[in-house]
Amino acid sequence: MKLLSDLASPIVIGILMGGLYVVIALGLSLVFGVMKVINVAHGDMVILGSYLAFSAITMWGLNPLLWLLPSLPIFFILGILIEKYLLHRAAKMSADAALIIAFGLSLIVQNASQRIWTPQTRSLFTTYSMTTFKIGNIYIPLVYLLDFFAALLVMAAVHQFLKRTYLGQAITAASQDRQTAELMGINPSRVYQIAFGISMALASIAGIFYGLTFPFNPQSGNPNLIIAFGVIILGGLGSIGGTFIGGMIFGLSQTLGGHFLGPTGQQLVPFLMVLIVLTIRPQGLFGR
Amino acid sequence: MAQNITPRNFIEMSENALLQINSINVFYGSLQVLWEVSLDVKSGEMVAIAGANGAGKTTLLKTISGVLHPAKGRIEFAGTDITNTNAYDIVEQGISHVPEGRRLFPEMTVLQNLFIGSYNRKAREKRDENLARVYELFPILKERKNQLAKTLSGGQQQMVAIGRGLMANPRVLIIDEMSLGLSPLIVNELFRALKDIKARGITILLVEQNVWRTLHEADRAYVIETGRIVLQGNAHDLIEEEEVRNAYFGT
Repeated sequence: MKLLSDLASPIVIGILMGGLYVVIALGLSLVFGVMKVINVAHGDMVILGSYLAFSAITMWGLNPLLWLLPSLPIFFILGILIEKYLLHRAAKMSADAALIIAFGLSLIVQNASQRIWTPQTRSLFTTYSMTTFKIGNIYIPLVYLLDFFAALLVMAAVHQFLKRTYLGQAITAASQDRQTAELMGINPSRVYQIAFGISMALASIAGIFYGLTFPFNPQSGNPNLIIAFGVIILGGLGSIGGTFIGGMIFGLSQTLGGHFLGPTGQQLVPFLMVLIVLTIRPQGLFGR
Repeated sequence: MAQNITPRNFIEMSENALLQINSINVFYGSLQVLWEVSLDVKSGEMVAIAGANGAGKTTLLKTISGVLHPAKGRIEFAGTDITNTNAYDIVEQGISHVPEGRRLFPEMTVLQNLFIGSYNRKAREKRDENLARVYELFPILKERKNQLAKTLSGGQQQMVAIGRGLMANPRVLIIDEMSLGLSPLIVNELFRALKDIKARGITILLVEQNVWRTLHEADRAYVIETGRIVLQGNAHDLIEEEEVRNAYFGT
């Protein structure tokens, strides 16, 4: 009984935090699934989303959640421009070229952030940052709950878009067979732009919720990228449900690892899980 | 009678052609696959391209649908030059290509595969109408509509592929190796469907390794050998042609 009540807190927190990881991973998964490009700048784009929200808060005193409204289209358009003028040209040369462009973007965003916002650690501090709920013996920070509900909303929205709209189905089709998609009248260049735009918009959502949850600095992007990789490997590419389960497993193994093994376990256990899944089921738990 | 191509009968045949290919050369990198290939298809016809494996049949179809572009020559469809038009624009103009090996989207359902066939703007307006026709043609697809494409049998997959092609609302349906790997029973069913499709006024251009069968079904045929059209004519006449009999039927 004692063990169970002790575990309740890490389990709940793990699941809620897993939601945040899901939002971070979705954009990376989408771009890889459609364009076969590993966007190593994805973590930095997330943090860029955090920083822009930070500026909006400090300059205009905006609620970070309200900043979602302008942030989504800004990142979407930025994504389309990056794909159209940088990635697309590079991808025409080779997959390596696109990877190198993404790496370059990562460095640019990191260093520009350092220049603009200084290396100092920031956070999106709001009136509800410290609010917690007490359920039973568990204290749940409000922002963790927000992370989780954001994850559910984002997943549902992406799922509906991919399943129910012509454009979403075009993205799905192009990710499964690009040449045949062209025979259906789908312009792959356009699909890639939209997919990258959506991935960037997802990064901006992730950035806002990440900033609400954790402090960040210009170097916070890479750990996020690695977490997103972990989530995708666990859940398997190309399945939103898989990404969700991956996020849950990652969050849970972090908190439970931390609970039993201390801070080392918090880092070690999730990646141990990744390693185990890679060995037993390389395509991920829900991968094809 | 089957005839070898001469400039004169080429011009004759070109009259009223819906699809007209005028001496194209096509390369894969530096390797030339098609040599001076000319071909035309009139509205409402079923035309077959027969030939052995590696003769360039698939390449020819890919060039028509814009996946490949010729280095030389010209392709006209309904009076419009489509030689260098992108594949994704050609569909909307009315040429729908059912690729070799079906190439369904494996993780999408039958219905999603059919719907994506109607992606082009003109086809979207007629989506439900075309879907009803596809179900009429292949009733089994209605039963299987929510099943993932990869779980279907080969024959059913080919039905989805043809149905998907029809969902694009084409004037010309191009089908590559329809009967490859399928049982004779299924092949019969598919050829029956083609007759239906043709009866609805859709022009069909068919590529087959199954030369005997194809020549019995088509109106006209072209025989392609190592990238060149070597024979052309009325399909029934070609069956009698000695060269064809020797090369493909072993008699």
